[in-house]
Amino acid sequence: MNWDSEIDEIKQRRKLAKQQGGKDAIKAHHEKGRLTIRERIDALLDKNSFDEIGEGAGVPDYNDKGKLSDFQPANFILGFGRLDGRKVIVGGEDFTVRGGSPNPAGLRKSVYTERLALQYKLPLIRLHEGGGGSVGGTNKEKDRRPLGDPVFNESRFVPLAETLSAVPVASAALGPVAGLPAARLVASHFTVMTQNAAVLIAGPQVVKRALGHDMTKEELGGPQVHLASGAIDNLAEDEGDALSQIRRFLSFLPDNAWAYPEKLTSQDKADRCEDMLADIVPTNRRQPFQMRKIIDAVVDQQDGGSSFFEMSRKYGPSLITGLARLDGESVGIIGNDCMYYAGAMTAAAAQKLRRFVDFCNSFHLPIVSFVDEPGFMIGPDSEKAGTIRHGTAAISAVLQSRVPWASVQVLKAFGVAAQAHFGPDGYVLSWPSAASGALPVEGGVAVAFAREIAAAEDPAARQKELEDMLAASQSPFPRAEGLSVHEIIDPRETRPKLISWLHLAVAAMQTETPGPYLTGMRP
Amino acid sequence: MQVKSEIAGSVWKIIAETGAIMAADDVIVILESMKMEIPVIAPKAGKLMQLHIAEGDMIAEGQLIATLE
Repeated sequence: MNWDSEIDEIKQRRKLAKQQGGKDAIKAHHEKGRLTIRERIDALLDKNSFDEIGEGAGVPDYNDKGKLSDFQPANFILGFGRLDGRKVIVGGEDFTVRGGSPNPAGLRKSVYTERLALQYKLPLIRLHEGGGGSVGGTNKEKDRRPLGDPVFNESRFVPLAETLSAVPVASAALGPVAGLPAARLVASHFTVMTQNAAVLIAGPQVVKRALGHDMTKEELGGPQVHLASGAIDNLAEDEGDALSQIRRFLSFLPDNAWAYPEKLTSQDKADRCEDMLADIVPTNRRQPFQMRKIIDAVVDQQDGGSSFFEMSRKYGPSLITGLARLDGESVGIIGNDCMYYAGAMTAAAAQKLRRFVDFCNSFHLPIVSFVDEPGFMIGPDSEKAGTIRHGTAAISAVLQSRVPWASVQVLKAFGVAAQAHFGPDGYVLSWPSAASGALPVEGGVAVAFAREIAAAEDPAARQKELEDMLAASQSPFPRAEGLSVHEIIDPRETRPKLISWLHLAVAAMQTETPGPYLTGMRP
Repeated sequence: MQVKSEIAGSVWKIIAETGAIMAADDVIVILESMKMEIPVIAPKAGKLMQLHIAEGDMIAEGQLIATLE
C-alpha cells in the first residue's frame, strides 16, 4: 500500500481547479476583451511569484464508484505574491464561474483575503469582476449548505473595515462589479476602473422592476457615473493600465501602518528652481492658472516625468489630491484648482479632502498643500448639498492630523474653508501673490460698504476704490512681519525650501514608533 | 463631438467662430464663474460646427457649449 492514488488525486484536483468555468466560459470571457482572474494575477505580480491559498476549495462531483469526476472551483482566487519585489496579498472573483457571484467556497476565500492581509500586515490588492449573492444560489444541489452564518461568528464585514486602518488597499473594477464585490471594491484607499467596467449596487433588471428605469449597466454605473460620484478614484485605459496604476499607487506606501514609507534615492536636484513659477499666477485675479503645473514643477522628476500621481480628479474637481516624491520622500499633495468655481470647497471636494487626510495619516505621509482657497462654495446648490457640514468635517480631519504639514499659499486663503489647508504645527510659506482674509475683497466690499457705495456720486468708482484699498491690505508682507507665515518666498524657491523642511519634519516624525491612526480611514 | 461646460456660470466672451479649425486646447468661449474668467477648450482638434450659446447666457453644469467635428 502507498499514497499514490491520493497523490494522483491532488494533481487531478489542481488541474480541475485551473479549468475555472470551463473552456467555453473562458473563450466567451476573452471575446469580451477581458482576462481571466488567473491571467490578471499573473500580469500583476512579479514573474512566478504567485503562491496560491485554497486552490482545493470548491465543490466536487463523484461517479458511481465514488471516484472524483468533476470539480467546480471556488470562484474567488487568492494568494500571496510579489509586486516589484514586495510581498502582497491579491484576490479576485472568477467571472467564468457563475459570473463571479460567490459560490460557498468563493465567499469564504473572499472574506479570508482581508483576514490574511490583517494577519500578515501586507498590502492588499483586489481585482474585481463579479456579482453579488443570488436569490436561487443556495437552492441548487451543488451549493447546499446551512443557511446563514452561525450567530456567534464575527461579521464578515469586520475585516473589510479594519484593513483600511492597517494596510494599504488598492482595488480594480475590471468588468461588471455588483453587490458584495462592489462594497469590497470601494473599501479601498485607491480604486481604478476600466472603460468597460460597471460598478453597481443592483443591475438593470432589478432597477427596472423596482423603479421603472430602463438603463444599461454602463448607464447605471459606468466610469462617467462613478468617477464623478467619487466611488472610483481613477479611470484606466485598459486592464494593463489599471494594474500599473495600482503598482504606482502602492509604490508610495509602506507595507502597513506600523512602518514608515520608504525613502527612494531622488533622481532630481533638491535645489532645482523653476523660473516659470515666478509669473505663473496672473496679476489679474480674474484670470485662472494651472495649479497642476505648479505641483509638477515642485515635486521630483522621476523617470523623465513628474512623480505626481493624481487620484480622484473628476470627483470634487475644485480640489486636487495625489501622491508624489519630494527629494525621494513620499508625500501627499493637496491643491486648489481655480478652473472649477475658483477652487471653492464643494461638498464633494470636502469629502475628498477628509478621506485623503485620513489616508495620509494612516500611512504617515507628510502633506504639502498648495493653497488657493476662496472659501466654501456658495449658492443654492451648495447649501442643498450640505457643504457646511462636509466642509467642517474636512477641517476637523485636518486639525486632528498628526503628519508633518506644509502649506504654500499661492494665492487665495479666505473664509472658514482656508483652515482646511493648514495642518497643526505646519510650515507656512507664502508667495508674493498670496491674499488672505475673512472673504475675498470683490464680494466683501459690496456687502460691508453697501451704504457708502450707494451714497457715492459714482458708486462703481467708489466700490473700485474701496476694493483696491482693501486688496492692498491683504498683502502677505504684514503677515511675514508678524510671523503669521514662516517666510514670504520667491516662488522659484518653493522646492528647495520644502525639501529642507521635509527632511527635518520626517526625521522628527520617525523618532516615534509608527502605528495605526486614531480614526483610520473609512470608505 | 460635444463640448460641455463643467461648471455653472455665464458666457463672458465667445472666442472662436463657427467653422473655425480648432487645435486641441484652443479656447472656444470664456465663461465667467465665481468672478473668474474660465476658458472652455476644445478637448481634441476639429472643426467648430456649432455654438449652442450666446454671450451673456447663463450656463448650467453639463450644458452643451459647442459641437466639434
